[in-house]
Parts: sequence; C-alpha cells; structure tokens
Amino acid sequence: MIAITNIQKAYNGRTVVNIPELVINQGETVGLVGNNGAGKTTLFRMLLDLIRPTKGEVFSKGINVALHEDWKAYTGSHLDEGFLIDYLTPEEYFKFIGDLQGLSAGDLSERLAPFLDLFNGEILNQKKYIRDFSKGNQKKIGVAAAALSNPEILILDEPFANLDPSSQIRLKNLLKGLRYQKNMTLLISSHDLSHVIEVCERIVILEKGEIVQDMVTNENTLQELEAYFTV
Amino acid sequence: MLTTLLAHQWKESRRSSVFGQSIAINIILGFFIAYFLLSFLVLGFFIDDLLRQAYPNQNPVAVFNGFLLYFFLVDLFMRFMLQDLPVLAIQPYLHLPIKKARLIHYVLLKSVPSLFNFWALLILVPFMVKILMPAYGIMVAAGWLLSVLLLTFFNNFILIYFKRQLSSNPKLTLLFGVAVVGLMLADYFGLLSLRIASASAFNFLLQNPWLVVLPAVLLALAYRLNYTFLLAHTYPEEIALKRNNAVEGGDITFLNRFGNTGKLIALEMKLIWRHKRSKSVVFMSLLILSYGFIFYPNKLYQEGFGMFLFAGIMMTGMFMFNYGQFVPSWQSGHFDALLTKQISPYQFYLAKFWFFVPTSLVAFLVTLPYAYFGWKVVAINLAACLFNIGVNTFVIFYFSVLNTNRIDLSKSSAFNWQGVGASKFVMMIPLILLPLLVYAPFGYWGIPYWGISAVGFLGLVGFALHKQMLNLVASRFLSHKYKIATGFRQ
Repeated sequence: MIAITNIQKAYNGRTVVNIPELVINQGETVGLVGNNGAGKTTLFRMLLDLIRPTKGEVFSKGINVALHEDWKAYTGSHLDEGFLIDYLTPEEYFKFIGDLQGLSAGDLSERLAPFLDLFNGEILNQKKYIRDFSKGNQKKIGVAAAALSNPEILILDEPFANLDPSSQIRLKNLLKGLRYQKNMTLLISSHDLSHVIEVCERIVILEKGEIVQDMVTNENTLQELEAYFTV
Repeated sequence: MLTTLLAHQWKESRRSSVFGQSIAINIILGFFIAYFLLSFLVLGFFIDDLLRQAYPNQNPVAVFNGFLLYFFLVDLFMRFMLQDLPVLAIQPYLHLPIKKARLIHYVLLKSVPSLFNFWALLILVPFMVKILMPAYGIMVAAGWLLSVLLLTFFNNFILIYFKRQLSSNPKLTLLFGVAVVGLMLADYFGLLSLRIASASAFNFLLQNPWLVVLPAVLLALAYRLNYTFLLAHTYPEEIALKRNNAVEGGDITFLNRFGNTGKLIALEMKLIWRHKRSKSVVFMSLLILSYGFIFYPNKLYQEGFGMFLFAGIMMTGMFMFNYGQFVPSWQSGHFDALLTKQISPYQFYLAKFWFFVPTSLVAFLVTLPYAYFGWKVVAINLAACLFNIGVNTFVIFYFSVLNTNRIDLSKSSAFNWQGVGASKFVMMIPLILLPLLVYAPFGYWGIPYWGISAVGFLGLVGFALHKQMLNLVASRFLSHKYKIATGFRQ
C-alpha cells in the first residue's frame, strides 16, 4: 500500500527524518509512537506530499505521491487544524468533502451515523463555525471528515489528543470498526500507548527521525513500550 | 470546482471576524470607505478641469496619459507595501482529492476581486465617459479603459510573483525601491521623461485601439509565470512567505536600571519588534512625521495657529495614538499570564506611560527641522508634545479599558480592522479636539501664543500629576479587568 524508500528530511543541515525503508501493507494497522520531535508529523506530511523530502520517495500503490495526485482519492487524513476549512460550519465542511467524493445527502448522513456517538451532540446543528469549536471537537470533525470517504488508507496524527476519556474510548472503538468491518489500512501516531496498541497490530517506534523498533502487537507490547520509554 | 472554491472564498470574507463587530463600527467603516470612494469618483468627473488648470494649452488627454505609467509604478509600489497573496488559503485543500493545478488557479483568481484592482475605475470611467468618448468614440474609449484595466491586473500578478521572490531576497527589494525613486528623480530633473513615454504610448493606443492585445498578452504571461512557479512549489513551507525566525532584538541593558518598569518596557519593545502588526504601526507613525510638508508650506494655514497645532499633535503623538489605541490588546495573547504575575495595574500602566513619553519626545526632536518654516512651528510642536505626554496619554489609558477585542499580532496593520472598536473613533475626538479647545479662546482674544503656552502648560501639569492620574487609571482598570480578560480569551 505504502512504501517509503530512503526518505530524508533535513532543516538547515539537521536531519529530522531518516528512514531507509518502511512498507505498510494493505489492511495493516500501524501505530507510530515516539517522543516529541521524533519526526512523526514530518513523516506524515511527507506521506501526504505536504512537504518536499530532502531525499527519497514515498510510493502509494506504487505511485510516487509527489508526482501524481491519484492517491488522494483513496487516502483520508487529518493531521492538525490546518486541515479544516475553519470558516465553514461542520455540516458545510462535511458536505464539501462529500461532494468531492460524489456522495448524496443520504450517503452523507449514512456515513456520518457511526460518528454521532463520538460527536456527543456537540458537533452537528450547532450553528457554529469550525474555528469556534474547542480543540477536541475540531479533532472529532477532522477525523470524521477524513473517514467520510471510506478511504482505503486513513492517516491520523494524534487522534486521541485533546479528547475527553469517553470520546477517546468511542474513537478507539470506531477505529477498530474501520479496521475489522472495512479492512481499512490505518496509520496513526499517538502518545497514548495503551490506546495505540489496542487499535494497531503493528507498532513502529521512531526516535530522532529513525525507526528503532518495528514490532507486532501482542500481550506484552504495552510493557515493552513502557520499558522502552522509561528513562 | 472552481466555483465551489470561489464560493468558499466569499464565505470566508463574509464570515471574517471583521464583520462580526458591532453595527456601529460597521457603519463608521462603511462611511469612511464610501467617503473615499466618492472622493475618487468626484475626482474622476473633474480631473479634466484640474488638468486644464494645471497644464493650460495642453490636451488633457495627453496629460492624463502622461501620468498613467506613473500611476502603474506607484500602484506597484503601494501593492508592494500593502497587498499580499494568501497562498496558505490552499492549505486545507491540499490533502483532499482536488487537482493542484485547480487550487493554483483558485488562489490566483482569488487575488482579482480586490479593491486594489478596481478602485482606479472610479477615476478612469468618468474620465472616459466625459472626455474620451466624445473625442474618440465609444469603441476606442472602451479599448483604452480595457488596456488600463488589463495593465492593473498585470501589476497585480507581477507583484504576486515578485513579492514571493523578493521576500527571501531583501537586496532585490531595495533595488526595486531605488529603481522607482530613480525613475521619478530622472523625470523631475528632465533626464529621462517617463511622462513623455507614457503619453506617446497611450496616445498611440488611442490611434490604434487593436493594440489592446498587448496588455492582454502581458497579463497572460504574468499569470503563466505565477502558475508555473506555484505549481512547482505547492508545499506550504515553500510558498508561504519566508518568515524570519531568527531571534531579533536583544536585551537593552540600559532599561534594567529602571527596575520592573524598565523590564516591562523592554518586554513591550520586544513585542513590538517581533510582531508584524506592531512593527507596521511603528512604520506608519514614522510616515506621519512627514505630515508637516502638507501643512507648513500652505499660505492659508501659516496665518493661523489651529491647523499647525493639529499637525503638531498628530506628528508628536501619532505613535502614541496608533499604538495606544490597542492597549492592552497587544498583550491579549498572554493577558491571563500577566494577570497572574506579580505586576500591579499601576506598574503596567506606569511602564506604558514611560514608554510613550520618550516616543513623543523623540518625535518632537525629529520634527525640529520644520523650524525652516518658522520658529512658530517649533513652539507649537513643543506645546503639542507636552500636551500629548501630560494629557493625551491619560485619555488613551482612560479608553484603553474598553478594548476587549483580541488582536492577531502576526497580521499587518494596513487595512486591518481587527480589534478596532467604536471606542477608537470616539477616543480620537478628545485627543485632537481638547488641545484645540484649550487654544480656541486665546486665539479668539488675539493672544495666540498665550493659547499655545496654555496647551503646553496643561501638559506639564498633567505630567507633574502623572502618579495620581495613573492611580485613577489603575483603579478603573481593576474594575474592568474581568471583562477585558474574557474578551481576550475569545
């Protein structure tokens, strides 16, 4: 699904990401963990062709993401508030995303239905612009918009951050649902170790821009991760 | 797709927080805009009469055409200072399945419906209807207008391209400025007349209206230039104007001698120097120092004192007015942090006071060369400076507690109405009217210098009582602080 070869990103001569190889297969759910500044978001941005790699390429289904744009049709993503068109209301934004995918109003409400629990009655029909929502609610809008098109791959940066505990659990179940029911390829980063191992079957640890561990989740993973991050 | 994107653009501007303000402020703003537009319209209708008076025995069309190239140069210069292409507007669309090419067309087209591109029509259209149409016929006149309009658009796109290039290269920016000034000087000294070139070019166009294709081709080329450049650089970190992230402005050790007040002043100076909006306030205030050239040479004003006093108040107080009108909104981003620190409101305002006093004094010193127009100017400016220090500072502080609007320091202040409340306009009235009122009776009795002295004396009294005045301001602030803090959090 996604193949990264020899990718590097340097700012003023300082390398922030350096990954010789990383392959993510169709239907795989990958959790990216690492401390602040490990290069998680930079890596995501390169996957989405939002920053130009200093070296190397990212291939999505064999196509270089920097040269073609076809991958956008089957890739859903939400990294930060910059992804939202913040002067629209959530309804307008969802409709815009739906229109891009050719969804009818009926399709749209059907696709949104699984998110209503997560929305907790605070997102729709609020007569509010996205910019006026709290950070947590903006995150819910972004995640829902990213998943709206039923993408083959969903890329989320810190989806659990800023969410209250109930919302975190609801989102976790939603993501699991996407994984099992729709066989969606998931790539998420998180600081919440217990959530990420519950959703993802594969964990990649990033440190100072490099992959230091790539493991399959099992019952000992949480302890291993906690041991790794204990300094 | 383009229509959807343009609909978004329309929504964005209509929903901008600028319009979210009170109705009163929208009415006042609307009034000002209407006034300026109307002024241009009137100018358009009577410009031929003005040209006939200024250049008798010359064809007004030729004179008008002669100024057109200058218009484009000045237009380009103004755009350089004020206009920007919000390329980052495409950021929320980049991850969506929309072709990049389309997004670039969108961001480029988005720059067309701007006041910059159309205000000149207010002058051009009346001129065309009144003068050109009777002389050359409707088709030729329309061709002329279209050419000028296309060249305005050409300016628009050329600016967008060069601003993007030059922003990372300050040397070239400087070179452009020097070139424009050089051309103007060359014309002034008769070395190389752009006016003659301009007149012959546009007169030729009036003889050969098919030449309208020339500006059209130029426009297409400029558009193409932008398009290819942006297509190769659709990454936000590459198309955003390069920000200078290096730390600017170190510690000013001199200020440390003044204890906490000095530290707060140093903090304020860093705030000003490290943000776009505050910096542009400083530059605009510097521009106002040239105000004297409008007033002092005027024979009519030289007789009286009122207009000079007005100019003096503006010149020595402009920074104080401009910057002061947003106290304490400048700190809106970290206002809660300030409230929880060991800084009393008195100290907060004391620091502002001692920050404004030197700015006014420096402005007075800078205006000293206006002594060329007579010592009267110096006397009036000194009185105005004292009045600004001793009275107007407190007027500004008095109104400051009404500022409950948050402002974004990273935006330029040109045409930026964020944080502008109705109280700003109300505040300007006493600032300017008070000194004139103090002076008025003395002027009426025929002892103007006594009036000027009274203005200055009142300033001195205010300065002597500044501690008491600041205590009043501080207690007023205390009773408003929750309202202010709530406003800033939104």
